[in-house]
Amino acid sequence: MRPYQVATAAAIALIAAVAMFDSLAAFNPSAGTAPGDVGARWYPFWAAAIMGIAALVVAFRVLTTPQAVEGVFAGRASIFSVLKLAIPMFAYATLIGGIRWRDGDINYTVIPPLGFYIATGLYMGGFAWWLGRYKIWWVAMILVAFPLVIFAAFELGFRVSLPKSFLYEQGALPF
Amino acid sequence: MEIFGQLAGGFATALQPINMLMLFVAIVLGLVIGVLPGLGGTSGVAILLPISLFIKNGALPGSNEVTAIIFLAGIYWGALFGGVITSILFNIPGEPWAVVLLFDGFPLAKKLRRPGLALASSFVSSFVGALVATVLFTFFALPVAERALQFGPAELFAVFVLSFATLIGLGAEAPMKSVAMLALGLLLAAVGFDTITGEQRLNFGLVSLLSGIGFVPVTIGLFGIGEILASAEEQGIGYVEQISARLGLRDVREAFVELGKRIRLVLSNSIIGFFFGVLPGHGATAASFLGYGLARQYSKNKENFGKGEISGIMGPQSAADAAGVASLVPMITLGIPGSPTSAVMMAGLFIWGLTPGPVLFIQHQDFVWGLIASIYLGHLMTFILCLLAVPLLAMIMRVISIIGSYSLNNSMLDVFITVIFGLIGYWLRKLKYPLAPLVVALVLGDSTERELRKALIAGHGSPLYFFNSPLSTILMLGALVLVLIPLVRTIRARRRGAVARPAGVAH
Repeated sequence: MRPYQVATAAAIALIAAVAMFDSLAAFNPSAGTAPGDVGARWYPFWAAAIMGIAALVVAFRVLTTPQAVEGVFAGRASIFSVLKLAIPMFAYATLIGGIRWRDGDINYTVIPPLGFYIATGLYMGGFAWWLGRYKIWWVAMILVAFPLVIFAAFELGFRVSLPKSFLYEQGALPF
Repeated sequence: MEIFGQLAGGFATALQPINMLMLFVAIVLGLVIGVLPGLGGTSGVAILLPISLFIKNGALPGSNEVTAIIFLAGIYWGALFGGVITSILFNIPGEPWAVVLLFDGFPLAKKLRRPGLALASSFVSSFVGALVATVLFTFFALPVAERALQFGPAELFAVFVLSFATLIGLGAEAPMKSVAMLALGLLLAAVGFDTITGEQRLNFGLVSLLSGIGFVPVTIGLFGIGEILASAEEQGIGYVEQISARLGLRDVREAFVELGKRIRLVLSNSIIGFFFGVLPGHGATAASFLGYGLARQYSKNKENFGKGEISGIMGPQSAADAAGVASLVPMITLGIPGSPTSAVMMAGLFIWGLTPGPVLFIQHQDFVWGLIASIYLGHLMTFILCLLAVPLLAMIMRVISIIGSYSLNNSMLDVFITVIFGLIGYWLRKLKYPLAPLVVALVLGDSTERELRKALIAGHGSPLYFFNSPLSTILMLGALVLVLIPLVRTIRARRRGAVARPAGVAH
């Protein structure tokens, strides 16, 4: 447990250091405009400073006091269970926006954006098939019905616009 | 006595069939909006604002401006109740003031397997909170609003400091971990444009970070996804199944019994919530966190907090609902909106050709008293509807939450923030870092900074300004005492030599 605790506290201290560096302008004499105004950077600087000091105290206490023997994870199976959920979630988030960038006049596309609806259908269908072991027609129904219901409720009903797919950009689909 | 006559007149107006019908429709809409994460009372009222104009103009037989305000207020009451359902059943807050229910509401629903009791406790205490606030509204609206306006930035900042100190002083985890999480929350709240100078901060050149990091994706990530990952590890993937809520009469009866045991807490928190709600710009969220802190401080079962303690639901919920009602007080009496939702309602009043403020009380008595009467009726109706319709709402919510409510905002960045904070939340939970201070600081961070800087400007940079008024001095000293509690506890334990080496530890 101790190395994980120290590493986490160090990561928090590092984030604090980066934020403090970004907010160094707090000490610029022209930071504030009105008398007594501390300017925009003063508050994040001191919030980061408090965070960094607290993280260092945590690390110091972890190093100087007895710690539980057992590790962070119960075993290999438990890590696998977490990864089985975490990796598809990242994949799902990536599929929504796709991977593409623009360099000058040229567009590069590695994965076209599938938008919220198609990605959700694939994600839900994939889960139902892979982990839920649903019959194939149930999987097909989930894959189609979920995006449609969500589209009707949010896009049409509440007029909340969600990310659209490349097929929408080409005018082939309403989402 | 005059008040009773006016109130009776108000009831006569509110009880007209068209007003009751629109109140019912609005509450159902509000409940659904409150249940959907990311869509809150404010957006609900804003979306339906144009409809209120039709209602005011007599689109329905007998409808007028009273019907229109009852319609908008009904959406707000519905959303106030609906927001808690997602917190309790799915660990996803529908509204900022429902964040606090993640601490005890969800554990009671999931770990202790009493979702019905958790919901019923929350509804019952909401109802009492709203009722107390409405009675206070009826009798003290004008004097309280005038007094609240005298709250300056120093007093408001002191209130926030007290809320944060409660989390550090009374937290179950290591106090320095609470401090680190609190500061992280404040830091995340500062990302993006500075609200006072418009300067860019901590966005590292990313345009999408300019609008800041919203509490919705972070909270859904930390509590929603983090919890799913933790459960998957503990109990296997199959456990990711959601809880279904069956609210039986037994739960409602039990909730009333539990309310009876905590009636002093609920009543005092309702009164405190009311005064919080009247403070312009603050209200339900701060009240809910303070309500939780007070419930914990005065509880004999402090160790049960965070594990499904009913006081941890009833305390904040009564304060939040009372504050929700009270946020209408400065809007109606002085023309100053007490919350974003009441600001949208005020926009409605302007659209209908009414000017909120003291004159409204004199020139449009039927409107004001009709609204006050509708608060009583609306809460009674919401309470009954909630008890009857929770299974249905839970079903709607299940559909939404499974799919991944985390992309409700229009930005892809929010999707990634949710997923990343899901992993961060999972990791921090494993290493016993408290997540509540992070979320509380993220929600209140902007207001805290604003009041701090306003106070410093008012005091020409002197920190002594915070001790100028007796109220802010008392609040600041209270915060200091709370922060010192863990230190005193450690020193005492050391003196007694109680820091014995626990079994199964290594150096």
